[in-house]
Amino acid sequence: MNPMIRKELRQRMRERRSWILPSIYIGVLGAVVAMAYFFTLSESPWQRGGDIQGAQIGVTVFITVVFAQLSLLLLLAPVFSAGSLTIEKEQRTLPMLLTSLLSPADIWYGKFVSALLFLTLLLVSALPVLSLAFSLGGVGPAEVVRATAMTLLVLASISALGLYFSSIFRRSVHSTAVTYAAVIALTAITFIIFTMMESHWQTKQAQITRPAGVSAPEIPRYYSIPLYLNPFYAVASALMHTRHKFPDWLICTLVFLFLGLAAAFLAFRNIRRRGESG
Amino acid sequence: MIEIESIGKHYGRRVALENFSLCVESGELFGLVGPNGAGKSTLIKILATLQPPDSGRARVNGKDVTAESSSVRAVIGYLPDVPGLYQDMRVEEFLEFFADAFHLREPRRRQAVDRALARSGLERRCNDFVEQLSFGMKQRLVLAKTLLHDPPVLLLDEPATGLDPLARIELRELLKELNREGLTIFLSSHILSDLEDICTRVALIADGRNAAGSDGQSVLSLSAPSAQSDARVACEVEVLGDLQFAARASSGFPGAQLVSTQGQRLRVELPGGSEQGTAWLQHLLSAGVKIVYFDSRGPGLEERYRQAFEKNRPGGEQ
Repeated sequence: MNPMIRKELRQRMRERRSWILPSIYIGVLGAVVAMAYFFTLSESPWQRGGDIQGAQIGVTVFITVVFAQLSLLLLLAPVFSAGSLTIEKEQRTLPMLLTSLLSPADIWYGKFVSALLFLTLLLVSALPVLSLAFSLGGVGPAEVVRATAMTLLVLASISALGLYFSSIFRRSVHSTAVTYAAVIALTAITFIIFTMMESHWQTKQAQITRPAGVSAPEIPRYYSIPLYLNPFYAVASALMHTRHKFPDWLICTLVFLFLGLAAAFLAFRNIRRRGESG
Repeated sequence: MIEIESIGKHYGRRVALENFSLCVESGELFGLVGPNGAGKSTLIKILATLQPPDSGRARVNGKDVTAESSSVRAVIGYLPDVPGLYQDMRVEEFLEFFADAFHLREPRRRQAVDRALARSGLERRCNDFVEQLSFGMKQRLVLAKTLLHDPPVLLLDEPATGLDPLARIELRELLKELNREGLTIFLSSHILSDLEDICTRVALIADGRNAAGSDGQSVLSLSAPSAQSDARVACEVEVLGDLQFAARASSGFPGAQLVSTQGQRLRVELPGGSEQGTAWLQHLLSAGVKIVYFDSRGPGLEERYRQAFEKNRPGGEQ
């Protein structure tokens, strides 16, 4: 086993946040799901005593869990990755690592795996909450697998991005701040750009006079390009059914894979180059 | 063996090293001394493959530090000037981690960790967290970690910084012992007395360049007497009987300059090396002076350091 993985996991398990964060995570997730469940019941046209469609509630709970989980994990991913290399610089242990026989790839891999393993632990710890959706129906194993796989891929890319910023900066506070900025750019900014582009297209279509009975064409697919970088859209696309030759989930997978691999490659170079100078 | 040929390194506009050259023979205990900012740490980092030189070449045991960096790392043990430690690891875990990092496999791994614990005197503290150790113990732990993979070459950057006098003595004895076992040790230090005690040769560095002493040499031998014409040796005797008689006898020796008399002790300076001290002693004995104690010391490292670097200080002679 890569000695970095063992060291990182051991140190991570000794930190207080290793039990505090999962506790908060499960608590918040449970509260969100409970709110979604009771909100769905109260808003349903089949109120008390009526014929409640369990499958619809199951789907609502499932969607809520998936996206609430993603939101929380996107908040936590920078915590576990963006400080990984800067902490070695701050406590001056990086020179000792770099003068051992561990390569920059070994060091990166150990940090990446330990960060991702912890996030996976959180993901798995939400399974009991997810089982509520199963019990209500409307959701099958395929949906769970697709949503989980895409969530993992997104988290892996974000972790790789966090490690890249950690390889650039000397201080954890700076690398963490920039990683959060990147997460905001990927989640909020991409959505805002898409909304503006869509609004612009709709405005253009509204100005075009059409014969009676002829509806406006569908928005071209390339308008969705900003969304391919959006983690929420990536997970949503994994749950969509589509007949496209290149479905959106495939494009999102390739985009996040490329993002993660590029961040990893650049981090390898920085670990060696900036090992001492930060 | 360490070979440094015209190494240059700069950080932006600041020149850290310029055309610096040096050769350390296998099995030497070699010191590097110079003022703050002279380039000592930069040079050691280049040898440790942490930074590539901008010009020139450096080789450790025949391996180029840039082109064969992984081979160099396998044969060096590097101790930085401010070593970091994983405070939340136990002592034994810390050593086991670095044993793994140097790809040591069982049973060599276990033997290396046990030897490191014995060498650092931390066997009884092996289950303690690193943060619980004193500064001196942490320094011993880091040095022990440096020796885990039995490197033939040690690169030590200010290893005695922050140590109390007893710890410094223990460190000096350890380095001498390691050198007797055949290790080549290259260390930088500000503590001249330590270098004088343990090193066979010392190189002077200033402003990133080889610095010459008053004798024109940039590498000082600390075991051989100086043959330069401006060298002087300090001698001291303790006599029985009339000290003034001994002082008169001493004044008859060519070049002898009286420094001080205190109690029954007479101190003089003589031109030349330690062989002059021996000749002066024989002169006194021939004159009938009864001597119970004699000491002779060549130009010390501190004196040579002062001669080499005083002119470069503000207000010093240029």
